[in-house]
Parts: sequence; structure tokens; C-alpha cells
Amino acid sequence: MFSFIKKYAETIQGIEVYPKIAMFFFLVVFIGMVWFALRADKKYITELENLPLD
Amino acid sequence: MQAEKFSYDNTTVRNFAYATFIWGFVGMLVGLIVALQFFIPELNFIEQATFGRLRPLHTNAVIFAFVGNGIFMGVYYSLQRLCKARMWNDTLSKIHFWGWQLIIVAAAITLPLGLTSGKEYAELEWPIDIAITLVWVVFGVNMFGTILTRRERHLYVAIWFYIATWITVALLHIVNSMELPVSLFKSYTVYAGVQDALVQWWYGHNAVAFFLTTPYLGLMYYFLPKAANRPVYSYRLSIIHFWALIFLYIWAGPHHLLYTALPDWAQSLGTVFSIMLIMPSWGGMINGLLTLRGAWDKVRDDVVLKFYVVAVTAYGMATFEGPLLSIKSVNAISHYTDWTIAHVHVGALGWNGFLTFGVLFWLIPQMFRTKLYSRKLANIHFWLGTLGILFYAIPMYWAGFTQSFMWKQFTPEGILKYPNFLETVTAIMPLYITRSFGGFLYLLGSCFGIYNLYKTIRQGSFLANEEAEAPALEKNYETHSSEHWHRWIERRPVQLLVFSLIVVAIGGVVEFLPTFLIQSNIPTISSVKPYTPLELEGRDLYVREGCYVCHSQMIRPFRSEVARYGDYSKAGEFVYDHPFQWGSKRTGPDLAREGGKYPDSWHYNHMDDPRTMSPGSIMPPYPYMLDNDLKTQSTAKKIRAMQTLGVPYPAGFDKIAVQDLEKQAKKIQANLKKDGIECSEKKEIIAMIAYLQRIGTDIKAEPVASSTKP
Repeated sequence: MFSFIKKYAETIQGIEVYPKIAMFFFLVVFIGMVWFALRADKKYITELENLPLD
Repeated sequence: MQAEKFSYDNTTVRNFAYATFIWGFVGMLVGLIVALQFFIPELNFIEQATFGRLRPLHTNAVIFAFVGNGIFMGVYYSLQRLCKARMWNDTLSKIHFWGWQLIIVAAAITLPLGLTSGKEYAELEWPIDIAITLVWVVFGVNMFGTILTRRERHLYVAIWFYIATWITVALLHIVNSMELPVSLFKSYTVYAGVQDALVQWWYGHNAVAFFLTTPYLGLMYYFLPKAANRPVYSYRLSIIHFWALIFLYIWAGPHHLLYTALPDWAQSLGTVFSIMLIMPSWGGMINGLLTLRGAWDKVRDDVVLKFYVVAVTAYGMATFEGPLLSIKSVNAISHYTDWTIAHVHVGALGWNGFLTFGVLFWLIPQMFRTKLYSRKLANIHFWLGTLGILFYAIPMYWAGFTQSFMWKQFTPEGILKYPNFLETVTAIMPLYITRSFGGFLYLLGSCFGIYNLYKTIRQGSFLANEEAEAPALEKNYETHSSEHWHRWIERRPVQLLVFSLIVVAIGGVVEFLPTFLIQSNIPTISSVKPYTPLELEGRDLYVREGCYVCHSQMIRPFRSEVARYGDYSKAGEFVYDHPFQWGSKRTGPDLAREGGKYPDSWHYNHMDDPRTMSPGSIMPPYPYMLDNDLKTQSTAKKIRAMQTLGVPYPAGFDKIAVQDLEKQAKKIQANLKKDGIECSEKKEIIAMIAYLQRIGTDIKAEPVASSTKP
């Protein structure tokens, strides 16, 4: 999957782990966000979204 | 809980608002002038007003003066209200305001004087870079002071965007501005060639992301609901929007360098993340537009909402186009053409410009306790602006396609159909004229807007300190046992700042480290040698004149480009280039293999008046280079600076640098004399010719025409 990186970067040890870590980190943050956003209770969201209108 | 009395500071907001529309006018006016220079080359009448110097002035004025002051205006207004607190320190507010204006004035003076670092959108020289850093820190301290002394527990999503903006712009600016000073207004970037290109476009792309986009999204999340008088469509979506956007944006920089000498893996990484970016961007656009659900009838009457609707739509168009342009096959057509110019102006005129005017038309009446002077004038402004955007963008798309296809067209016999680059320029001249008409309409609209704001200000009475009251925050906040972790971070601005920094730093580190650490990424070419002192001085003149705004030095590995310009560019050719000069636009032809193409005398006459050698050329003339003496006082210093940066000049070379320079200059003088041109060897033009004759010759197989080469 990451052969395009390996081709140029194989001289650094363990380089192929870079994008995997990054992709993993991104997915964790992203899924965490979506999970939180969907689970957050309505009252709390209503309170937040009305902050500019107070 | 007893309510505390306090007041909001409107004075700073008002000052930033004034600065926004005054600098906006200046920036757009310079934009119109440079647009006119495309078909009236006579407008390049003095050294300080040549296109290469004015164009950076235009971009810097619009980005950092117009939009920059617009950001501060919006942040200073909304942050106070969202935090239920006055800005933390009035003195810091003053220092921030005046400091930023001084930086703008310094830029407006130094750029026309040719004092530039030669890196797009980061042209300002090192003392101004330091001033920007200091003022930015003042802004950050003031903002965080306000957030930490707030009376509202939760941080509304707009504030997250402000925090991410602050920390990321700080990171971008510091990393990209690493330079070694040679004199008060001359420095060399510490990065060379491919690395410099990568850092520069990591910066350039994210300057768009974190200066023109995230702070304005923060403004959208505050001012759009405010004007529509209803909450944002989906607060849940805004949370996802924020994290996904700041996470993905930072990776996308290399899409500015597709098909260049940048390693393939970095190009592919940039493309993947750019395409992913469409999701959070459109999430944000939809969130903005749907905030008006059930209130579309208001858009008919409320001119502020009209501006917002076009702004958010333009944001949607530009962020759809961005990922599209990052696909390599599309980029092969669009890059170096006016398509890019169309793209950025949909963003700048539509998204930033219209959102700014929307905010101004809402904010000024609020602070001056009056109504907008004339709805009719605002409507005229709106329509002139909208038409201006169309008259600007459509011809530029057309020009981009036309020129790109002309560059790539071959005859059935297999030779270039339009071998003379100039043909591809004259073909799109009517489109340049139409574009400037679009720019004129937009500027005219803005004049109506500014007049309208002026009359509104005159009829109102300014409320400098707006009284407010709110209870202080409880010291010991009791958390709910089932509380989610994200709620925890929403109350903690410092942690939010740290997490934002981690998120954006990861993208930068993954992009940079391999390029910096791995030798094989930039294969060295043994025939590539450092510039001679005369060539180095000539290169500095090339940077001073901003040649890179119209000429690339990067031949992509396409048949059409190799046939037109010569062998495609290799990463190893640029290892001594501080800064890199690959450019991003070809108003003129690529110069990566310019050395040896023409005799010295051709360059001499061409620089004096391009139209004598290329009738119909739109390049500015540089007659003053024939008159000005080349300053060699700092040549030795420049050589030492280059040695510090790792350029392998022999030890002690700085001492004989001027001697070497004079020797090479005499050769060029003799060459010119052979062609009947009498010229002192001390003139700037000699250094310029030396550099132009050097570019790209290191790996040329054929001997070069100029006899000055050893």
C-alpha cells in the first residue's frame, strides 16, 4: 500500500511506519470526534450552539 | 451568583475595521494596476512599480493587511462576547493594532524597493519577520489572557478556530522564515532547493489554510448565526469540521509541487490529503448555508446575508476546486497557468472579500448604534462585487485552458505547434483585459461599500465601551461522572492549544523528516557547482526584481516541456539555491535551461527593452540595470553566508570573491563588445547576464554559447 513511499525512503530505518502511524492517529481522532459528536446530549449541544446569540 | 459588571472594548475593533477597509482598498487598487500591466507594459514606468515588485505588494496587502485586519476585527469583537469578558489587556490591544499597521507600512515600503526574500507570500525580509513574530505573540497573549479570564465555561467552536489559527500560523511563520541575515535587509533562507520548496509550499498552502480559511470559518460560525439570528445548522458537524480540517490541511502542501523534482512519495501524500480535504470543507460550507434553513426569505432583504451566502458558496467552489487541482492529471493542465489565478481569486474576492464586507456591514452599525446608511448602496456594492468576481474568474479559467493546451499542442509531424511562447501569451490578451474589467468592477463595488460605511459612521455615535454583566465562573466546577472526554477539552483552552499544535505538527514532521534526513531523496550531481560570485550577485538581482512571479525554473517531465525548454529538472540541480526559484506561474517562459540559449548581447538588449527582441512581449523593461552600478561591498559577506549554509566554496574564497567577480564581468563586457555593445563591466546588467547564462547549464551536454564559462 505504501510502496510509493518505500521506493524513495527505504534507506531510513522503519520509515514505512510513519504514514501508518499518521493514518492511525488521524482515524482515532476522527472516529473519536464523530463518536463524541453523535453521542453528545441534546441539551448540551443546544447550550453551546446558542452561545453567540446570548 | 452575583453578576460582575464589565465592558467590551469596541475601540480596538473599530480601529481594525477602519484598517480593514482602508488597506483593502489599497490592496485591490494595486491588484488592478498589476492586472493593467499585463496589457499596458508602459505602466512599468519606474523601477519601484515594475510588475515583479508590485505583485508581491498586492498579494501581501490583500492577505496580511486586508484579510489580516479583518481577522483581528472579527476576533476582537466575537471573542469578547463569547468569553463574556473584555480583552485581557488594553495596552496589548493597542500594541497589537499599531504594531500590525507598522508591519504593513514597512512591507509597503520595502517590497517596491526590491527588498525581498524571494519566497512567495513570505517575501518580507528578516527584521519584518521578527516584528511579525513579536506582534503575533502579543495577539496570542491578549487572546489567551481573555480566554483564561472568561466568564463563560464553554469555548464556542469559533474560539477553537482562533486558537488553531494562532498556533499554526506561529509555527508556519517561524519555520519558513528561518534565514541567515547578510545585511539589514538581505538574508538567505537556510533551506536549499527541494527542501526550501517543500518548506515554502508547506507554508504557502497552510497560509491559505490557517490565515485565509480557519480564522474566517471562526468568523462564519459567529457572525452568520448572529446575522441570521438563529444557531448554526449543526453544532455536531462543526466539531467534526474543526478537527478534520486542521488535521488534514497541514499535509496538503506538496500538491503545489506536482510533477516537480520533489520526491514522488511527498507528491502522492499531498494529493491524498488534498482530496480528503473536500469532506471537512464541504461539511463547513453546508453547515454555513443550512444555518439559513427556513430563513431564506430574509436573504432577499438582508444585504449582510446576501454577502454571506455568496462568500460561503465561493468557499464551497474554491474548496471543491482545490482537491480537483491536486489530482496530478488535472494539475498537469492547470499548473503554471491562469487557472490557479482564477482559483485563488474565487477564494480571495468571494470567500474572504464578501465575508469581510458582510461582517463590516453588520458590525459598524452595531458599534455606532445606528442603521446602515443605505441599503441601496450596499446592494449596488453586492452586485458590482458579484459581477466583478465572474468577470474576473471566467476569463482566467478560459485563459488557463487556452494557454495550457497551446503549450502542449504538437503538429502531426511531431513538433510543437506553438514553439514561440509569445504566441501563447498574445492569444489570451483579450482575456487579461476582461479580467482587469472584473477587478475594476470589484474595486468600484468596494468603493461604494467604503462610502456607505463612512456615511454610516458619520450618522451614528460610537460606543467605545459596551457595558455588560455576567457572573464569574465558579472556581470548583463539578464535572458529571459520565462526562465525555471532549467536553473536558472544551473547557481547557491551553490543552486545546497543545492538541492543535500536536495535530498540525505531525503532518509537518512526516513531510519534512524524510526529505531532510535521507540523502537518496536528493541525489547529488557531481557536475552541479556553486554559483560564481558574479552569478550569485546576479541571482540576488533576479530575486530582487521578482522574476519568479512570471518565470518558473522547473521543467516538468512532459514531452511538451522537454521539447520546448530542454531536459526536465532534477532535484540535485538545486542544492545550492537559497532560496529556490521554481516559481508557480508562467506568464513568461520557463527559465530552467535558459543558460546558453541566447548570446549575452540578446539578454542585454532584451533587459533594456524586451519588445526590441520579442515584439509583443509584456515583460517590464529594466533599463536601470544598464545604468546602476553593481554593489559589491557585501559580496564577500554573501560568500561567507553561503559557506555557513553549507555551500562548498573553498576556504578563504570570500577574500578573492570580488576579484573573481571582476574577472568574469570583464569577459562578459568583452562578449558584448564583440556584438557592438559598449558597456562598463561594473553595471548590474553584467551580473544579471552572468546568472541568466548560468541557469541550468550544469548538466547540459552541449557546450554553452556564452564564453564566460570556464
